[in-house]
Amino acid sequence: MKHNQNIERDRELLLGLTRNDDRALATIYTENYPSILRMVLQYNGSEDDAKDLFQEAMIILYEKAQKGEFDLYSKLKTFLYAVCRHLWLKKLQTGSWQLALPDELKEVLPAEDGNTMAEHEEKDQQFRVMEMTMGNMGEPCKTILEDYYIRKLSMQDIAEKFGYTNSENAKNQKYKCLMRLKKLFFEQYKS
Amino acid sequence: MNDFTLIRDIERYLEGEMNEQERTAFEALRQSNPAVNEQVLMHQQLIQQLDQYGQRVAFQEKMDKIHASMAIDEVLAPSKTATPKKVFTISKRLVTNMAAAACIALVTSLSTIAFMQNANRQNTKAQYEDVRRVLNNIQRSQNALINDINSKKKAPANPGTYGGTGFAISNNGYVVTNYHVIAGADSIYIQNTKGEAFKAASVFEDISSDLAILKITDSTFKGQPLPYTLKPQHALRGEAVFTLGYPRDEIVYGEGYISAQTGFNGDSAAYQVSIPVNPGNSGAPLMDSKGDVVGIVTGKQTTSDGIAFAVKSAHLKRLLEEMPKDKLPKKEWNHKNRLGGLTRVDQVKKLEDFVYMVKVYN
Repeated sequence: MKHNQNIERDRELLLGLTRNDDRALATIYTENYPSILRMVLQYNGSEDDAKDLFQEAMIILYEKAQKGEFDLYSKLKTFLYAVCRHLWLKKLQTGSWQLALPDELKEVLPAEDGNTMAEHEEKDQQFRVMEMTMGNMGEPCKTILEDYYIRKLSMQDIAEKFGYTNSENAKNQKYKCLMRLKKLFFEQYKS
Repeated sequence: MNDFTLIRDIERYLEGEMNEQERTAFEALRQSNPAVNEQVLMHQQLIQQLDQYGQRVAFQEKMDKIHASMAIDEVLAPSKTATPKKVFTISKRLVTNMAAAACIALVTSLSTIAFMQNANRQNTKAQYEDVRRVLNNIQRSQNALINDINSKKKAPANPGTYGGTGFAISNNGYVVTNYHVIAGADSIYIQNTKGEAFKAASVFEDISSDLAILKITDSTFKGQPLPYTLKPQHALRGEAVFTLGYPRDEIVYGEGYISAQTGFNGDSAAYQVSIPVNPGNSGAPLMDSKGDVVGIVTGKQTTSDGIAFAVKSAHLKRLLEEMPKDKLPKKEWNHKNRLGGLTRVDQVKKLEDFVYMVKVYN
């Protein structure tokens, strides 16, 4: 019974995460980070490693939740822990760490989550490309695009912010920016 | 249609800014022109990517904020405890290893101790009576052995043979024993099976064959005619032999056989004998089935069981011949055997009176 209650609570937290509820995020984050930190420290990682690792796991959780396809049948803690272990394993294998693979890590690899990980890697790849492309965009394009597509400002607001005489001008500027972004992104993405 | 207008149209189309007429026209264009269609799909993908990018950046920012706020209370607390925790886990591992090592060391040392004690006990058991009775003697015997080895003379045996027995070779108080039994002695006493002790003195010593001739000096001693002779011939391999000695306070009988014609390290003046021999047996007579003396037990090999050594009686005989005549008249030790036809029990009964315990004091 207790187990089920816990899962119910976790499900609600996850719903909150899907709705971009900051409090749900904060709860999940603060409740689960310490155990990951301990794990990483135990395997001779640093606090920064733990932070990166945990945030990556959180992103996976978040993006899965956003897609609405995530059915939680284990506790959030279990899920995050398994994902972190998996990620840590990968890091040890491919990263600059030349450590031998701890056997314990091998044993507890989440068998369920091969798909999740592959998907995540692809998304991560896309994210890096986009991040790089946006980084190369230069101003004002970067901010305009971010304002419109990410921060969801209206063209009117953007026009005012950037001192365009009307939103049509701003839009034209946005189109130009978008054109460049598209070109750069797909150049990168396809290579 | 240039890229700009295309992208504007796509954007307007996707954002739903087109009116009915425009959209129909654009959809028609999409259908007729695959390149345009592809651009639309790519654009959709791009927007989606951008959206996800934005979400992730936002999410990351939120998390960083949470992380930073945690840093004040929680991250610091875990990091404070976690860093020692790291050390702690390592030391825990160490402790496990050390515990394992300690266990192994403990087991090893305990088993070694047990083994050593066991070995010791066996030793002390064997020497128990002897040690109590002639402790000094044993020490002296050992010294004698060391001296022997150092001087590279024919060693009687490995350490492990200690003196204590002698037997009469004449009816007027001459007794033969091992040199190492009486070496360096201040005073020597001979004790018979009846418990009578007589003072004795060494009159002749042959270190190389580890033999010593003692003369009982006590006036109370009364000699008897010897029932046995010193056999001048070599005993043969396989010949049954027996011995009488004093590994304890009481005279002890033991029997065996001649194993080899040479003694320790190929010593041709001795036999290898398979016979139970214990400290205190040194100097005991080795008799053949007729009761004639074929050898004098000197020692045994400590490294293996059932290997004892005895100086050949022929050697003793030669020694006696070499002795100054005034000390030991020849006729005194040339006797007739009177044990030949007797049973072993009777032989032993008779022999007992001529086998003595040699006690050495210094």
